Amino acid sequence: MNWSGIVGVGLFASGLQLAMPTALAAVGEAFSERSGVLNLGLEGMMLGGALGAFTADYYSGSAAVGVFAGVGIGVLLGALKAFLSVTLKTEQVINGIVLVIFVQGVTAFAYEKLFGSGGTQPEIPALHTVRIPGLASIPWVGPVLFEQNVLFYVSLALVPAVWLLLQRTKFGLAVRAVGERPLAADSVAVRVDLVRWLALLVCGAMAGFAGAVLVIGDVSLFGTNVTAGRGWVAIALVIFGRWNPLIVFGGALLFGVMDALQLRIQAASGGSNSGVPYEVFQALPYLLTLAVMVIATVAARRNAQPAALGIPFRKEVIE
Amino acid sequence: MTVAQSSVVLPPFQRRYAQLWTVLVSGGGVVLAFLVGGLLVVIAGGDPLAAFRSMFSGTLGSTFSIGELLVTATPLLIIGLGLALAFRGRVYNIGAEGQLFVGALAGGSLILELHASGTVLIAFAVVAGIVAGALWASVVGYLRARWSVNEVISSLLMNYIGIFGFDYVIRKPLGDPAAGNALASRQLPTSAMLPSVSGLYAHVGIFIALGLVPFVWYAMRATPFGYRIRMMGLNREAAQVAGVNTARLTVVLMALSGGLAGLAGVIQVIGVEGRMDSGISANYGFTAIVVALLGRLSAPGVLAAALLIAFLNVGGQAMSVDNGLPYSIVLAIEGVFVLFVLIADRFGRTR
Repeated sequence: MNWSGIVGVGLFASGLQLAMPTALAAVGEAFSERSGVLNLGLEGMMLGGALGAFTADYYSGSAAVGVFAGVGIGVLLGALKAFLSVTLKTEQVINGIVLVIFVQGVTAFAYEKLFGSGGTQPEIPALHTVRIPGLASIPWVGPVLFEQNVLFYVSLALVPAVWLLLQRTKFGLAVRAVGERPLAADSVAVRVDLVRWLALLVCGAMAGFAGAVLVIGDVSLFGTNVTAGRGWVAIALVIFGRWNPLIVFGGALLFGVMDALQLRIQAASGGSNSGVPYEVFQALPYLLTLAVMVIATVAARRNAQPAALGIPFRKEVIE
Repeated sequence: MTVAQSSVVLPPFQRRYAQLWTVLVSGGGVVLAFLVGGLLVVIAGGDPLAAFRSMFSGTLGSTFSIGELLVTATPLLIIGLGLALAFRGRVYNIGAEGQLFVGALAGGSLILELHASGTVLIAFAVVAGIVAGALWASVVGYLRARWSVNEVISSLLMNYIGIFGFDYVIRKPLGDPAAGNALASRQLPTSAMLPSVSGLYAHVGIFIALGLVPFVWYAMRATPFGYRIRMMGLNREAAQVAGVNTARLTVVLMALSGGLAGLAGVIQVIGVEGRMDSGISANYGFTAIVVALLGRLSAPGVLAAALLIAFLNVGGQAMSVDNGLPYSIVLAIEGVFVLFVLIADRFGRTR
């Protein structure tokens, strides 16, 4: 086996691109969970964002319009999740699953109505690679980080911004406070439900953006299972990253490199003719996610998790 | 923990008008489902009345279509009952799809490998399917009970692992080369198939499913086991203090719901497909979540919801074929329906 062909610059470049949607969604989920709301609708938000982005890009011919549409759908779904979890205070696990089922049904219909079923799948043009002059000539790092498409750079800029929002602003402090001690936050006039609403809108925007990055920046087409469980993997990676957006992001990218590695090993070992059944490689990312989540949960126990995660805020109830 | 919780998880049957409200919500939900369906048909450029007519004739119009309705309702009902039990205890198993495939794999492989046939073999296959689904799911239950690993995510991730495992077995070791790209296992001997109901185009699996309804209903309502499940669902810590072994009950609920999903998988193999292929499940493991939630996690409710969803799915196919409308209308209706019930139930609780 030609190892130098497998473990090269291309591995990291494609790995990062592969991981970016999951990583962005995971950062959004971390934000929501830090406010105390478990968002299991993430997969649905990504899927909705992906369809919004695909449709807008397809009809307008502009990737930027597509991205904004994806983010817009994500925010709308974030509002729905906030309405169900924060306003109505329905069970967060249930309303997350319901949100995914709802979006899967509606997107399946909308896509079939807009683009029909069967025949050739419509595609949107792929984004150009933008070489950053100077930086791209740095050996190793250059081709990996500075020879990507525009959305890659936007993503790289967005994640520290989310981290700053959470760690260095008054709003971020409120988010963290309502996720840990909502009663205490309430007693100093922080509007717990409002903060959680806003946190879910941020999460929805990130998930919608993640869906847009997936279809516009990577696969160029839409299918009813285009997200393929990425939203669920992202939720698992939040635990792995111990609810810190930067660690979550880094962990997700690392994960993507491992995913790219297994794809390359699979290709180099003869693809479908290889001795190892290709189903093993297909199942591997999910198995790895599961293993990583279990190890992270066991290692962290409960102390890394926001204390009020999953518990609706009610003033009258003594917790 | 807070006291009041979502009634989709715990129906407030102690309230005076709660049952009336539940009936109203369900009725309203059905009406809404048809209104939304009609609207989507119009959006898709069809005639709603013609669409509904073919839905009804495609499900209730002949003994053949009634049989198809019952065959579709069977896995939904079996899995939905298991999920209702687990969800009542707030053990959120969303891995039923994978458990179904693992159960089907165990039962189907047993039949193909033993080269035997007859009633005893069918019984062995059914037991193998149940045990395989239960073991597969109890891994998730154990992780939750031992280390508080979120069972929603772990059960969902295990779907992929189980289904890819199934794909491998039907492609390689037990694969049928004649099936070509369709990927399927070798055909099962006809003597290993479930007998069909005379006069209906359905297998006897529907009786297994129907037989489970009173059993689950009784267990939930009138046994200490059901009481413990409800206690754990209301407040896990309090149940623990009151002497409920919550760790064990979590594993038991995962195993129970996984076992029933495995049972549904075997029944699909020996009742419908006659071989192992991807056709054994039209997303039944996920649709059963809708069934359990629409049925308010009660056995009679799950029965009604399974029939309704089977009606939508089978009728939707007829509608799609007759009128050239997208089948996905049905998926959208189900999504809107389950969202409506979640919201409406919440308002029922505050009255």
